[in-house]
This record gives sequence, C-alpha cells and structure tokens, in this order.
Amino acid sequence: MTQEKNLLIIDDDPDFVEGIKSILDSAGYKVDVTYNPKSGLQALQDKTYDLLLLDIMMGRGAEGIMIARKLRKDVRLREMPVLIITGIREQMAFLFPGEPVHPRFVAVDELVEKPVEPKMLLEKVSTLISMAEARKTKAG
Amino acid sequence: MDNQPKIIIIDDEDVVLDSCTLILEGGDYSVMTASNGTTGLSLVEEIQPDLVFIDLKMPGIQGIEVLERITQLNPTIVSIVITGYATVTSAVEAMKKGAYDFLPKPFTPDEFRLITKRGLERRKLMLETIALRKEKEMLRENFAAIVSHELKSPLGAIQQNLYAMSAELTGILAESQMAKFERMKSRIDDLLKLINSWLRVYSVDISKIKDNLSPVLVSAVISKAIESVEPHATRKDISIVKTIENDQMSLAGDEVSVVEALVNIIGNAVKYSYPKSRVLVSAKEIDELIEISISDNGVGIQGEDLPYVFTDFFRGKKDRSCEDSHGIGLTISKRIIEAHNGTISVASVPSKGTTFIIRIPCRDRKDNQPHNEIQNANDLITIV
Repeated sequence: MTQEKNLLIIDDDPDFVEGIKSILDSAGYKVDVTYNPKSGLQALQDKTYDLLLLDIMMGRGAEGIMIARKLRKDVRLREMPVLIITGIREQMAFLFPGEPVHPRFVAVDELVEKPVEPKMLLEKVSTLISMAEARKTKAG
Repeated sequence: MDNQPKIIIIDDEDVVLDSCTLILEGGDYSVMTASNGTTGLSLVEEIQPDLVFIDLKMPGIQGIEVLERITQLNPTIVSIVITGYATVTSAVEAMKKGAYDFLPKPFTPDEFRLITKRGLERRKLMLETIALRKEKEMLRENFAAIVSHELKSPLGAIQQNLYAMSAELTGILAESQMAKFERMKSRIDDLLKLINSWLRVYSVDISKIKDNLSPVLVSAVISKAIESVEPHATRKDISIVKTIENDQMSLAGDEVSVVEALVNIIGNAVKYSYPKSRVLVSAKEIDELIEISISDNGVGIQGEDLPYVFTDFFRGKKDRSCEDSHGIGLTISKRIIEAHNGTISVASVPSKGTTFIIRIPCRDRKDNQPHNEIQNANDLITIV
C-alpha cells in the first residue's frame, strides 16, 4: 500500500463493528468508527475518508439510507465510495419495490451482506478505493 | 352513545316500523327506520349500521335489491329479511344474496328480540374475525423485522468476529484448533441460512411477482442457478449437465425469483445425489410453455412422502446419506413457480432418483384466463 487509507464505519452494532474493524486494521487501513448516524455525519464533515462502510438498519429504521441520500447531495462527499454492509438484503425488495436487489443509493456503491468474509470484504474495499482514485486521476 | 349497536329497519308498512321500534325500546340500541328502499339505502350508507332488517316486498326498489346493494356496500353489515309470504324460495334466495337470516311475518316481540340479538352477535363475530385477521397479518409482517433484528444481527456479529479471529489466528493455531473455528462458522452459517429462509417465507409476498413479469432468457437463469450450486456439486464430485434446446428461448418471469426456485431444486438434486453421479438439467419449449426438467440419480423420495414434498417444513426422513435441510426450499420454489402461472411436478423412484418438471408460460398471460391444465399443481404430482 502506497499510503494509508482512511475508512469510516457507521454501524450501531459495536460487536459487529469489532469483527470488521479488526479485519480492516490488520490489512493496514486506518479505521474510524461511529455508532450512530448523527456522529457519523459529523465525522464525515470533520475529516476526509477514502471509503465509508455503512450499515442500513440503524436507530428507528433505515437511517443508513438517509445518510446515503445526504451524501449524494453533498458535492464533496459525493465522490467518496460507499460500501453498504447490511443484514437486510432480503427486505430490500420491500424498501425499494421495482428495483433490483442491489439498489443504487449513491452514485458509487457496493452492497454486501452481513456477515462478510474477510477476503471478500478486503477485495470490495480495495476495488472501490482504486476505482475512486482512477476516477479522480481521470477528472484531474 | 357511540358504542350502541345501530339498527335500521326498512319496511313500507308504518305499523311494522312502529311496532319493531317499540319492541326494541329499552334495549341498548339505536334504532332508525326507512319506509322504502331508496331512503333505506341512503340511511345505511350514512349510518353504517350493525344490523339491517329489510322487508322483501316493498314498492319501489325491491327488498332483494336493497339487500344486494347493502352487501356490496359493506359485507360486514348483517342483513335480515322480513317476509310477509314466508316461502322457502324467497328466503333461500335472500340467504344466497347475503342475508344472514329471515323472519316470517307475523312475528312475536320475543322472536324479533331474539333474532336482533343473534344478528348483532353475528356482526360482533364478523368484526372480531376481521380484527384478528388484521392482527395476524401485522404479526406476519413484524415477524420479519423481529427475526431479522433480534436473531440475525447477533448471529451476524458473532460470525463476523469468528471470521476476524480465524483470519488473525491462521498460522498460529494448530490445524485441529482451526477445525473448531470452521465448525463454529459452519453451524452459524446454517442458522443464518435458516433465518433467511424463514424471512423469505414469511416476509416476502411471492404472489406479487405476478405483477412484474418480463421476458427472461431460459439459458441465462439456468446458468446462473447452476453457477450458484456448482461449488456444492464439486465438493461431492457431481457433474451438472445442461441441455438447452434453444439458447434464445425466454419465459415470462421475474429473473431473480426464477433463479432462486431453480437453485433450490438443483441444490436439492445435488444434496440428495450419490457422490460421483450426475444431475441433468434440460429445457425445451412445448406449446407455449417452457419445460425445465431437473433429474438426479440420487436417494429418491418414498412414494408415501411424495405428496408432501412441497409442504412447509417437510423434509425427507433422515437417512444415512441425507444432508441437513430446512424443508422450506421446495415450498418457496413451488410458490414462485405458481406466481409465474406455472406448475411443478415431481416423479421419483427410491434409490434410483428424482425428476422435477417445471412448466412456465413463455408469455405473460395475466390478462387471459389461466389455462385449466396448470391451475393446480397438486393435481400434477405423479407417483412412479
């Protein structure tokens, strides 16, 4: 890895977070964690992240979707790749009738289901980050 | 006051209206009257009563029509017809049109009180049934949320930590210790799969698939399904052989669900096959129907079990070579296929193998009458 990448996890389940954070830690990522949407959004304002790992079902409902929508509207944050990690793939169809199981919340995103195997997690994370960098280089 | 049962009496004879009102006086009812069908109907519409008495023979709109319109308006309103000429035919006719009971004239005050009481009890039961049904529906919907949140999340968190720990400890732990990790992971994985299949059964309204059918390439859905089952087959050294008559054939379907149905059935074929055997998947078009057949040379299904394979939570008797199953895959598959106006049938010879045949129309014929031949899949279960 040429330089340390900063990741942010927003997920309200500390036990689950511990499980993915340690995988990402040992792969050399610098990982910050917030356990609710509000402090998650604050963290995104305070610091620039290379990738966001976002849970969907938090608090009183699908608050992760609200975050994703806010990101899409934000000029700066729109460019940040988002990896959605959710336990509710089954119910996605209800939340987004008529859309494929992989709904496009934000321009760039991927969706994986909880629990996620270390190999797959690391693959998705590095692919999303390098795709975002390639886009940036092209644009710049 | 609002809790008082509301009763409307529709009769063209004032004497009947007055005496009925008088009889019910002192009871805890709110009684209103109308002297013809037209005013009666508008009163019913406005008041939404619990019980209506309708005289069958009236000038203007006939009682029977009033009855029909009330049933249309609100089937939970209990109607009782009053008939001056107590013929069995008119009474039967009225009952057919939705009347709860009939009261022949002349009647005594006691008879009228009794039938009123019974009519109101009926109404109460109907409302209770509706409320219970709604509650059941809500439970069904909430079940998904409860299961998902309270069971799935903790299991997911445990599994995630196991993943992390076993990754960290690779190379540090002895092989036998790693094997214990694998056991834990695989058991939790089973539990998560079980919960997912529950969620599928209870939370997804499979019948809604019907509203969204579009042409789907048969070769594509079969390939996707085989791809998903392949790793399991490879582990058992089973080869899945695919024969598709025409690569361009399509069926009217929802791709994701058709793949799911096929994964369940092909997965079962692999599960119940003997190692080193073959599973055949073939597809052809016959009379506007796509016929997909999945056959294995596996343990087969006992004749007595055959009619139950599509039932919720049914699974074959545990025998030596059976792997674990939740007995839900075939039910889901059947429901998916039926939502596609299709059928699934099964034929099996114990110790020789099983063949499942799925038939799904090539084109969406939602606007047409479904063909009789495919209306009831149960009729198609054949036992060899």
